[in-house]
Amino acid sequence: MSSPTDISSPTDLPSAAPEESQDAEPFGLGSTALRTDALPKALGIYPYAADLWAEGLLWGAVLRSPHPHARIVAIDTTPALALPGVHAVVTAADLPPGPEGTPDGAPSGPIVADRPILACGVVRHHGEPVAAVAADHPDTARLAAASILVEYELLEAVTDPEQSFNVPPLHPEGNLFRHLPLRTGDPEAVGEIVVEGLYQVGRQDPAPLGSEAGLAVPRPDGGVELHLSSTDPHGDRDRTAACLGLEPDRVRLVVTGVPGATSDREDLSFQVTLALLALRTGRPVKMTLTREESFHAHTSRHPALLRYRHHADAEGKLVKVEAQILLDGGAYADVSSEALAAAAAFSVGPYVCANVFVDAWAVRTNNPPAGRMRGEGALQTCFAYESQLDQLAVQLGIDPLEIRRRNAMATGDPMPTGQAVTCPAPVAALLDALTDSPLPALPLDDPEADWLLPGGPGGAGDPAAVRRGIGYAVGMVHMLGAEGEDEVSTATVRVSGNHATVICAAVDVGQGFATLARQIVQSVLGVSEVYIAPVDSDQSVAGPSARGRHTWVSGGAVERAALMVRHQLLQPIAANFGMSVELLSIADGKITSYDGVLGMPVAEALEGKELWATAQCRPHPTEPLDESGQGDAFVSIAFCAMRAVVDVDIELGAVRVVDVTVAQDVGRALNPRQIEDRIEAAVAQGVGLALLEDLRTDGGRILNASLTGYRLPTALDTPDVRIAALLEERDVVATFGAKAVSAVPAVVAPAAVAAAVRAATGLPVGRLPILPEDAIVG
Amino acid sequence: MVPPSGGPGWGSPGRRPRVRQFDEQVEHGGIQVNRTIMLPASLDEAVEALAVTPGAVPVAGATDLMEAVNAGRLRPAALIGLGRITELRGWRYEDGGTAVLGAGLTHARMDRPDFAALIPALADAARTAGPPQVRNVGTLGGNIATAAPAGDTLPVLAVLEATATLARAGGTREVPISHLLTGLDPLRPGELLTWVRVPLLHAPQVFLKATSRSGPARATASVALVLDPARRAVRCAVGAVAPVPLRPLEAETWVAGCIDWDARGEEGAALIDPAAAAAFGEYVAGACIPDGALDGGPEGPGAVALRLRRTVSVLARRALGRALK
Ligand SMILES: Cc1cc2nc3c(=O)[nH]c(=O)nc-3n(C[C@H](O)[C@H](O)[C@H](O)COP(=O)(O)OP(=O)(O)OC[C@H]3O[C@@H](n4cnc5c(N)ncnc54)[C@H](O)[C@@H]3O)c2cc1C
Repeated sequence: MSSPTDISSPTDLPSAAPEESQDAEPFGLGSTALRTDALPKALGIYPYAADLWAEGLLWGAVLRSPHPHARIVAIDTTPALALPGVHAVVTAADLPPGPEGTPDGAPSGPIVADRPILACGVVRHHGEPVAAVAADHPDTARLAAASILVEYELLEAVTDPEQSFNVPPLHPEGNLFRHLPLRTGDPEAVGEIVVEGLYQVGRQDPAPLGSEAGLAVPRPDGGVELHLSSTDPHGDRDRTAACLGLEPDRVRLVVTGVPGATSDREDLSFQVTLALLALRTGRPVKMTLTREESFHAHTSRHPALLRYRHHADAEGKLVKVEAQILLDGGAYADVSSEALAAAAAFSVGPYVCANVFVDAWAVRTNNPPAGRMRGEGALQTCFAYESQLDQLAVQLGIDPLEIRRRNAMATGDPMPTGQAVTCPAPVAALLDALTDSPLPALPLDDPEADWLLPGGPGGAGDPAAVRRGIGYAVGMVHMLGAEGEDEVSTATVRVSGNHATVICAAVDVGQGFATLARQIVQSVLGVSEVYIAPVDSDQSVAGPSARGRHTWVSGGAVERAALMVRHQLLQPIAANFGMSVELLSIADGKITSYDGVLGMPVAEALEGKELWATAQCRPHPTEPLDESGQGDAFVSIAFCAMRAVVDVDIELGAVRVVDVTVAQDVGRALNPRQIEDRIEAAVAQGVGLALLEDLRTDGGRILNASLTGYRLPTALDTPDVRIAALLEERDVVATFGAKAVSAVPAVVAPAAVAAAVRAATGLPVGRLPILPEDAIVG
Repeated sequence: MVPPSGGPGWGSPGRRPRVRQFDEQVEHGGIQVNRTIMLPASLDEAVEALAVTPGAVPVAGATDLMEAVNAGRLRPAALIGLGRITELRGWRYEDGGTAVLGAGLTHARMDRPDFAALIPALADAARTAGPPQVRNVGTLGGNIATAAPAGDTLPVLAVLEATATLARAGGTREVPISHLLTGLDPLRPGELLTWVRVPLLHAPQVFLKATSRSGPARATASVALVLDPARRAVRCAVGAVAPVPLRPLEAETWVAGCIDWDARGEEGAALIDPAAAAAFGEYVAGACIPDGALDGGPEGPGAVALRLRRTVSVLARRALGRALK
């Protein structure tokens, strides 16, 4: 048996995400500090979970359901066990039963525990894990998994979310994840102008570049150590332990380099199965999913159906908004109720409207389960309400920007949930920033610019058939957990000699938290060398890397801890100088008195000392939405406005997004370069959803589980992204006054692209992704 | 994990003298598999290796082959790598205005200006045949042998009425590409595709490809079109809509009669009435996607076929327009 210390990655780097403590040129908050992981990733030495190795390891493989809905009559594992090299085969029967004798063994899930780790009695979606194998070679493991005989009795697959209401329950917990009615104002109110629309959003997959991978090592105390690219180490530890019937302290989670995450990563089934195989065999077990499996294993974005009716007066002011929102949650609940809260609460968008009547449902089907993905819920409604505003502008004969200005939300305005927007809501200023931004040139008659035509290089593009369209969209999304979720993070800062260490379990999934933590400590303590410790579940809880929360909660905890260390550092010096600590400042590596007379280098003050402090950050509490969708459910909200410019070949329906210009409400730009990176990434993902990405299913079966079939945007599909403005109106209650920056541009980009295609073609554009046939004129 | 018992090494010099060979034994789920990789340095060696090695499969750029291996659809017992046969990686002229292209020409090579000046439509097809990494190693021969419906060089070769030289131990034969693709006269076991003969036309030729995105993608439909002013003929082939490229012969003949071959428009181009060009597009599309394909519900196969027909119609009209420009 291996001890954890035997684990190494082939690069001989430590087994977890590397954080080099380099002397970065740009320094502290507000600077364009380079990402700490940029160089190792570019050089290919950044160790990911798939690179892990342990002496004597076995390989895991999973057998998945080929059916979207079936009863399992019998499972015969003997053919797998008979293969030489196979060490263990596990099914649901090997897991301890669920807490209250639930029919499905050991169910789990982030909010509702309705998902079995391995299917028990019933499979509810294509690709659901049924059994798993550990063997001495990956091919053997796969062959063995494939040789397991499962007798299925096929059941009718419910794949139309509208049907979900009328069919017998697909699960003991029922088919309705949540119904959220939202009612405010006068239901009888009518406007002079009424526009209606039906909108559809497809199934976007996070398609992380690195597929799911991990290593489980059994521990001498009967526990297990999991090396995973987890985005929520403590949550994963607790849920894994619960499913295995272990005490939480028997499971240790070590976070390895995360190869891309815009949502959750390794689903619970993967982790628990891996741990179970290691416990069963007493050997380290490694598992890496193939690309095809990866598409089956993780959750995707909620497909949505949205019916809207907007009433406006003759000036274009919103009088009433009515909407029905239906999210397809797939086979298991996951975070559907959370996504639904965002969909309902932001159903009108960043606009003021006194009368709002919304019914929102999230339902169970036999489709692939949906989960967390940048701006879940908020993105789907943004496409719908922005499409409605475009329709209103056409009806009124006014500019699309003008209709938005006339209704724009401002600080202090109420949302349909009754909550007043107390944070900055600079919607009008964002729109102004877009208006003032120059437009890109047309690629006119330039033979070299052939490849700039829609359809791409060597494409069939014909300049005579190309129409340019300009579209606008504005959107909003909350940050941090909502509806009463306890948000908290803990961090420790240690300073010794002239360098500092941050210990915080906030995982840098690519959002740049490690870089930010370093900047914070640099600013507060004036030390340039800051080491960010690798994350494991022995550290204090920091919570998941999701919902744009770490800058606020973990950044806040790091800042407080650093300030406490600063106090410890300055106190003796202040006493020495005969003044109070408040009169000293730290800048450029020097401690200076308020009058500039007395001073001392930080390094000298620190000499021979080791200072520690641990602090927590817990933002103000929120409350659940009540039975009419009312309540102060959100901590804070970020806004973003975008202008998209597209060229459409109106005969072939080929669309090229030429340019996306962004104005975003960031509160305070803590690292402008990182913000731009995040916006570019979000725009790329948004353009993907708008034009290309759709995990297609037929009767619940996934059709395109490969990177050939699932079209991710390439460099040629991704537009130039320009930042018109990063508006810095500080959110006084937020850490540093900063707002989360990653999700809101992803929420807005698809709506902006749709608006631009609408402008180019004059077609309604009611569904995403926009297929060529949706953009052909005539 | 079981290590390969016979690691990479040289083949026994007595048996097959000049062919560089690696033998390895790997275990797959308890099943022992022998794998041989041979790297012949000349055509003769390659043909001989193919003849004497049972179950051997030739491999060029491996961009199609390895996909099949990785997906478990193919487990070749032996591979004969063609990468070291330099003569197959170039081209030469032959009397009578024919270009003789090596099967080992890569897409990237065909996209270079010297080649593009020779056979522009083939260069256009090669330029769009996947991302750069794939075009740097993917070959003309592999594209033909794979014969995928969306193979980009195929409609061009069909419209240029190219022929293929197939070599086996003790002889060669010449087969029209279209016969090879349709299975009328397929590649036989033990045969290697060595040369592709393309008649050089000193006349406009066009390849257009419709895809579903701006980045590299397979064709949803493609059209290759050449003018033959000497014979006052138009030739057209449609790719990706059927298992093999289709030649709408009636539409070709019809449109040739609509062109005013003597007229000289701007820059000396022949002329056609725009309405006739549009009708040509419809004619081609109708011929390639027959009415029978249009049956089905509003979102069923009929709707898909209708959209494809539209796309082909636009491509054919544009291709003709460009050829006549
Ligand atoms: C990501 C990606 C994108 C792609 N996009 C495109 C695209 O847009 N358009 C397109 O047309 N193709 C595309 N392809 C397919 C592929 O790159 C081409 O078909 C290429 O031309 C194959 O050539 P190769 O040399 O790699 O063939 P290989 O994979 O080496 O061989 C393919 C087959 O041909 C046989 N073969 C090879 N050479 C000979 C020979 N001389 N004689 C007899 N048999 C032979 C092999 O035995 C094998 O069966 C793509 C592939 C990938 C991986």
